[in-house]
Amino acid sequence: MSTIRQQLASPLQLLVLATAGIILLPLGYVTAQALSADPVVWSRLWATRIPELLFNTISLAASVAVITLVLGVSTAWLVTRVDFPGRRLWEGALVLPLAMPTYVLAYVYSYLLGFGGPVEHLWQLVAGPQARIFSPHSYGGATLVMALDTFPFVYLLSRSALLSMNVSFEEVARASGVSRLSTLWRVTLPLMRPSIAAGVALVILYVVSDFGAVSLLRYQTLTYAVFQQMTGRSDNTAASILSLLLVGLALIFLITERWFRQRSRFYQTTGHYRAPQRHQYGWLGTVAVTGYLGLIVGAAFALPASLLIQWSLSPEAQATLDSRFFGFVWNSGILAASAATGGVLIGLPLAYLASRRPTMLNLGCLQAAYAGYVLPGPVAALAVLVLFTKLAPVFYGSVLILIVAYVIHFLPAGLQSLEPALQHISPNLEEVARTLGLGMRDTWRRVTLPLVRNGFVVAWVLMFLQTMKELPATLLLRPVGFDTLAIRVWMEASEEYYQLAAPSALLIVLLSLPALALLVSKDWRAA
Amino acid sequence: MSFVCSLPILRRTILSTFLSLVAAGLVTAFFVPSAPAADQLTIYSGRGERLIKPVLDAFTASTGIQIELLSSGTTELVNRLKAEGDRTPADLLITNDAGSLELARTAGLLRPLNMREVERAIPAQFRAPDNAWVGLSGRFWIVVYNHTMVKPDQVKSLLDLADPKWKDKIAIPNSGSEYLQAGVSVIRATYGDEKTRQFLQGLKTNADSQVYQKSSQIVDAVAKGQVALGIVNHYYVYRYLATQPDAPIAVVMPDQQEGGMGAIMNVSGVGVVKSTKHLDSAKLLVEFLVAQAGQKLFADLDKEYPLHPDVKADPALMERKSFRAALVPLSKLAELREPTINMIEQVGLR
Repeated sequence: MSTIRQQLASPLQLLVLATAGIILLPLGYVTAQALSADPVVWSRLWATRIPELLFNTISLAASVAVITLVLGVSTAWLVTRVDFPGRRLWEGALVLPLAMPTYVLAYVYSYLLGFGGPVEHLWQLVAGPQARIFSPHSYGGATLVMALDTFPFVYLLSRSALLSMNVSFEEVARASGVSRLSTLWRVTLPLMRPSIAAGVALVILYVVSDFGAVSLLRYQTLTYAVFQQMTGRSDNTAASILSLLLVGLALIFLITERWFRQRSRFYQTTGHYRAPQRHQYGWLGTVAVTGYLGLIVGAAFALPASLLIQWSLSPEAQATLDSRFFGFVWNSGILAASAATGGVLIGLPLAYLASRRPTMLNLGCLQAAYAGYVLPGPVAALAVLVLFTKLAPVFYGSVLILIVAYVIHFLPAGLQSLEPALQHISPNLEEVARTLGLGMRDTWRRVTLPLVRNGFVVAWVLMFLQTMKELPATLLLRPVGFDTLAIRVWMEASEEYYQLAAPSALLIVLLSLPALALLVSKDWRAA
Repeated sequence: MSFVCSLPILRRTILSTFLSLVAAGLVTAFFVPSAPAADQLTIYSGRGERLIKPVLDAFTASTGIQIELLSSGTTELVNRLKAEGDRTPADLLITNDAGSLELARTAGLLRPLNMREVERAIPAQFRAPDNAWVGLSGRFWIVVYNHTMVKPDQVKSLLDLADPKWKDKIAIPNSGSEYLQAGVSVIRATYGDEKTRQFLQGLKTNADSQVYQKSSQIVDAVAKGQVALGIVNHYYVYRYLATQPDAPIAVVMPDQQEGGMGAIMNVSGVGVVKSTKHLDSAKLLVEFLVAQAGQKLFADLDKEYPLHPDVKADPALMERKSFRAALVPLSKLAELREPTINMIEQVGLR
């Protein structure tokens, strides 16, 4: 039995190793290029750019992480544990910002808060005609935009945790005389910790590798600098050096998150829960909760979306709606769907082995897969490009290399949900099924798959959304005649043609909505 | 206790791998760009799409030759051509900067042209000796100012913008901009590295966070009064004025004073990619762009200075003969590029 098992395990093992290898190749390329760089380039960068870039990147990631933690966990708790009118509506609405790319939010806010913009006009009515508000093109502006855009990651994962959590833990605490607040602090939050940590890690990685928002807000981070180096210079040595730093930085975050999660692994012992009891709030509480949620959803989605609609209806924008437009829609949709499917197929064996056979090797492979996300879009793109020219030139200039870059880049987003999904199932369940005489195939079909389905759906949707919004790799790798909606938004928005950028931006949002609807639908949650 | 890693999963994995390979194959069959038809050209363009597309559309209208346009950054596209080598789908490269074209030529990416039409239309100083690239339109790096905030005689030279009195009052392009790199190269060639470095230091201090990716944003910031002065290519100002005639902005043609270096000029241009399989169509396009009709499009639509001696610039622009251009030859921009970028980075411009 044991030898058979080993034989069966090894091909899967090989597959995982191969996947990790393919994901690591671009990183290897970048590392080699950075390390073989002339020391003069290194010292020049240390003397000029690196201290500022490191400081900017880390402080942005830190402030966004804190804000999203507060926003994400508080909103998740409110919609799952408090009963107030319109609760179901808010439950869905809080995910909406995920459909709004950071660069769209950035350009809307650089209009709203910008010099001579509407918010400044309002403020001048109050504080006098010379009064100025804080510029969105700053640390504060970048923090605001990134936090509003990424808190749903924390919200989604916290909410999943709260919903799938066995309420008996909390009930036992309450029955033993622990106060409500104390239960929250000592039982609920610790139980949510793996999900919260996963969500915040996702946010940090997202912030660190974001290009669209920081470039529109002119806030210098490492990723933005890498893109500038790549597009402004004929060789990309300096870009590789900065990328290596970025990867190092992200590795620190990942290891921290891993360590945090290793310390708290929980198994659920039953598949059937009662819905947790929801607190009833009085009218004052209801108003406060609604106001709080309304402010967040308004700032992160409703306000920008209504501006986009208004701009899209302008005659300038209407004039751009021609047959080219359908091409952009098709390109965006097909790319995102292919990348998401590829990501789930590749991520599954990685996450499975790391969860069920957490050997050093398997965990290493899993960690390797996370490298892609922090390989900034432009460098991942270039590395993939060079690899393909060397290994499979036939595919050159095809959509395939773009999809490979997407999968490498966004696999971590998927793994972040595949992994907890697999971790949450006790291996005992599968073993019990086997003991009771169920075949291996049936065990997988009737036990494992239904239990991990939520994670799969979330993973696919997250990757779909992120691919649709992706900018730098698309800019660098898109084949001729393969502009996406994101590219169109970028081209117009970077010249502050707000109206012209709006239809494409609105379409990205609209195309993302069905995927989001899937995320919050009852269907998969009940499973 | 890991029974679970077993046959069904393995089968599934193999099956799904197989399926994804099949899917990938289908996708590839679908999306690998089939060889473009004979009457189609693929162009890599580093110019703003709204500046070049109308001109190319006019070409399509008159010849029936379809154009696939890939708009991106100039340096980025040259890098891409290098990486793609002979497999590139591109037939032509259009850029906003002569230095980049010269770099592409010296890297062996462009094809020398023997065309009398080109030699007749475009003066020799605006093209490569072997015509591997050909200038199409001229632009000058000028100072745009808000005339409610600055008097025209307060700035005579680009170098004046480094004066501490303009602290927080100027907007500049970012360090990746080919215009900025070309402009700084000319200043270096004229005044030497030390003086250029001081200029850049002053520029950095004065601009602070007002560093923009696009020239149109700089013009907009000046028009709104967010800053008093900016450095941009001239046509962005005139294009802005064409849509908003009341904007309080005007142009200083810099460095025209006695002994001054003259205004910094650059050209946009085109080169035929070496590996093109559509040489005849490509030549037809070059011919269209340098002929009087094509040149007039650059003058009227883009407010650039046409390079064809017989085609007049837009009357809103300063008469070309009324000011001097700096004396640094365009082809020299290529060799000056690398040390210029290093200096820009050492100074720490964004």
